[in-house]
Amino acid sequence: MTANRVGKEDKTMNAFRAALLGAALAVAGGSAVQAQSGATLRVGMAAQDVGRLDPHFAVSTIDRVIVAWMFNGLVRFKPGSIDPAEIEPDLAERWESSPDGRTWTFHLRRGVQFHGGFGELTAEDVVFSLRKSATAASSAFAADFRAFESVEAVDPYTVRIRLRENVPSLLGLVTNYSGGYIVSRRAVEQRGADFVRSPVGTGPFALDRVTPNQSAELSANAQYFRGAPQIARVSYRFIPSDASRDLAYQNRELDVNYGRADQTWINRTRQVPNTVVDVFEPGELAILHLNTTTPPFNDIRVRQALAHAINRAELVRFRGQDVTREAQSVAPRGYLGFAQQPLLPHDPNRARALLAEAGHPNGLTVRVIHTQLPEMLNMMQVVQQQLRRSGITLDLQVVEHATFHQQIRQDLSPLVYYSAARFPVADIYLTQFFHGRSIVKTPTAVTNFSHCNQADQQLDAARVSTDINEQRRLWGEAQRILVQNVCGVPLLETLLVFARRDNVDYGYELRGSMSLGPLITERTRIRQ
Amino acid sequence: MIWFFARRLLAAVPTLLAVLTLVFVIVRIVPGDPALVILGDQATPEAAAALRERLGLDRPLWTQYFDFITSALRGDFGTSMVTGRPILDEVAAVLPHTVDLTVASMLFGTLVGVPVGIWAALHRNRAIDVAARILSLLGLSFPVFVSGIFALLLFSLHWRLFPVIGAADLDDPVDRLHKLVLPTVSLGLIMAAYITRVTRSAMLASLSEDYIRTARAKGVPWRRVVWVHGLRNASIPIVTVVGLYVGILIGNSVLTEIVFNRPGLGKIIVGALNQRDYTMLQGLMVIYCFLIVVVNAITDLLYGVLDPRVQAA
Repeated sequence: MTANRVGKEDKTMNAFRAALLGAALAVAGGSAVQAQSGATLRVGMAAQDVGRLDPHFAVSTIDRVIVAWMFNGLVRFKPGSIDPAEIEPDLAERWESSPDGRTWTFHLRRGVQFHGGFGELTAEDVVFSLRKSATAASSAFAADFRAFESVEAVDPYTVRIRLRENVPSLLGLVTNYSGGYIVSRRAVEQRGADFVRSPVGTGPFALDRVTPNQSAELSANAQYFRGAPQIARVSYRFIPSDASRDLAYQNRELDVNYGRADQTWINRTRQVPNTVVDVFEPGELAILHLNTTTPPFNDIRVRQALAHAINRAELVRFRGQDVTREAQSVAPRGYLGFAQQPLLPHDPNRARALLAEAGHPNGLTVRVIHTQLPEMLNMMQVVQQQLRRSGITLDLQVVEHATFHQQIRQDLSPLVYYSAARFPVADIYLTQFFHGRSIVKTPTAVTNFSHCNQADQQLDAARVSTDINEQRRLWGEAQRILVQNVCGVPLLETLLVFARRDNVDYGYELRGSMSLGPLITERTRIRQ
Repeated sequence: MIWFFARRLLAAVPTLLAVLTLVFVIVRIVPGDPALVILGDQATPEAAAALRERLGLDRPLWTQYFDFITSALRGDFGTSMVTGRPILDEVAAVLPHTVDLTVASMLFGTLVGVPVGIWAALHRNRAIDVAARILSLLGLSFPVFVSGIFALLLFSLHWRLFPVIGAADLDDPVDRLHKLVLPTVSLGLIMAAYITRVTRSAMLASLSEDYIRTARAKGVPWRRVVWVHGLRNASIPIVTVVGLYVGILIGNSVLTEIVFNRPGLGKIIVGALNQRDYTMLQGLMVIYCFLIVVVNAITDLLYGVLDPRVQAA
């Protein structure tokens, strides 16, 4: 090949490279990142897409967060709080109950309008909604409403609920949470199956559209009964990759960002200019549930050994002091009825001695099914290391998350690491995880993996008691029994984390949120 | 040509049926209960059973299979078990994003890979050739989640040329192109690297043939020798690789979609798999299969255009 030919080829390629570069620059030309619009709040969420937007099927975090902006309950948690003592009027302006606590009457606000011209809220909508919530075919929360005997409209603005038996918190069932959301009867009947993608509520924001895999766009409900929202629109963006979501936040393409419950993340995000990191309730309580009916955990000495092998302080240090705290009982802190218990202290020598006493002088190996979800897997690996130091080897069978949920409910793992938050009344958590009725693989199963039923009597008595002090005593007693029997080993509680720009003012102090994300209300604003 | 294309599509029907059957069986063998995903972790067995009945999952497998096949043949893929949205609507909403990314990456990979490969072949064993080989090796070694994050750090955070959120407004062509640049480069980089290597090899083989020597001896201009005699004969393996790579690009687009926050078929399929959304998975598989079949048929057609002997055979 001659130099001349090579030169010609070089020129050709140079021209080609120039064309490529030119095209790229032309596309990028004048392309400053879009300016932020003050009227739209952009919220980034770690999810692929929303699911069913019928609030009675909103079970995932992403769905719970968005339905809380669109719907109301008869009553509501004070924004920023998850304290049942701070429940306040929402769609009902007042209520009263009979002396035996089995009949409740709610008086509705007048003039509350549904989104999209579906008219004024009446008692018929409330009756329809609560009946829908109580029906397994139309709600994921039907089991919560088992005690409901009837719901009836006394007049267009009065609803009466009769109970078969007392429930620990009737107001909790009709609050802005899970099955308590009120939907438009006319909209559900008119839209049928379409209601899950075009829901109609009374909340401060109405759904405009969902772009699959991309975002849900909401606009302010100018007729909102507490006044028109100060924010015109909310753009709820689905960004599953943590790294990309964080970059989008740093690049000012998001105003609010779902955070990782991880100290490194919190420290790094706090360094981003004009950023506030909110850490709030409810805490998810992680417990190692031990199947007390099969070897090796049918021997209480082995369960005690495992409890002594756990070092909670180390777990908290691993995850982060700002976002986690040591567990103090088998119910989460702050829940109504929580009672701190004397948990077995970290003592590897005692753990080894107990194992030897139980016939395992050389330690033991337990095959455990666990999820590949990174946050849960990381924690389990730390637990695995701690147990190994005391002679307990966990043979982790890591499976995909949906498989994990199915297999632990088939009772295939003698030890289950489970982290959960529930309605903040001890009864719910204790019943779902430790009542005999909830034992896995039974017709009424929920998530009792330990097969413990020693506290059933206390839990049942507390549920129907009308005296709050007696209820507290019984729930405390139940926790004492469960801890004493080492049905599970409480590990730590992990709080929720969101970051926001410091010009985003929620309109309240975010200390807690039952919707698992910040509540965007009529008072939320973006300061200029 | 139309008859050829139709024949290829008809020949794909058994493949399509086999894939559909396989997908139907596999998604049901994999452990994990869609009812639990939809109802959440507090679901009672009673509620889960009610939902399974409503979704038709309690019916015998063969009945479900028969319904699925007959509906698919009618072009009805039903609704997503998880979102309740019609599958075709979900696909239609994201398909333009996937097509944009795939076509742009293919063009990028080809337009960069072919000239660089030719250039390297023409400068065999010289600095340019070595540089091209090293760069193509680097390109092959960088997965999208690495190159993508680097690209975002540099071009979005540092120079602020492109947004991090790559979900474009489909009605705005400028926005669409603008948000396509980084994902295209990231996804197309690996293809460009591969095409570079294939083109270089094919060109080296082609340029050492007798007809090239004859053409040069006849005094045919060098540019014509390279682009017409050399490249045309080297193009069969290049087209094969490009055709194969389109399928790979559709599959690989999932990582690009996640890193650049773009909607797309890949992202939907991963979500459907995680959530055990059987109907969505089945519908997506039909569409994927169909796309691959069409791309393969187009590749076969191109063989005939590039080399008349293929058509004659």
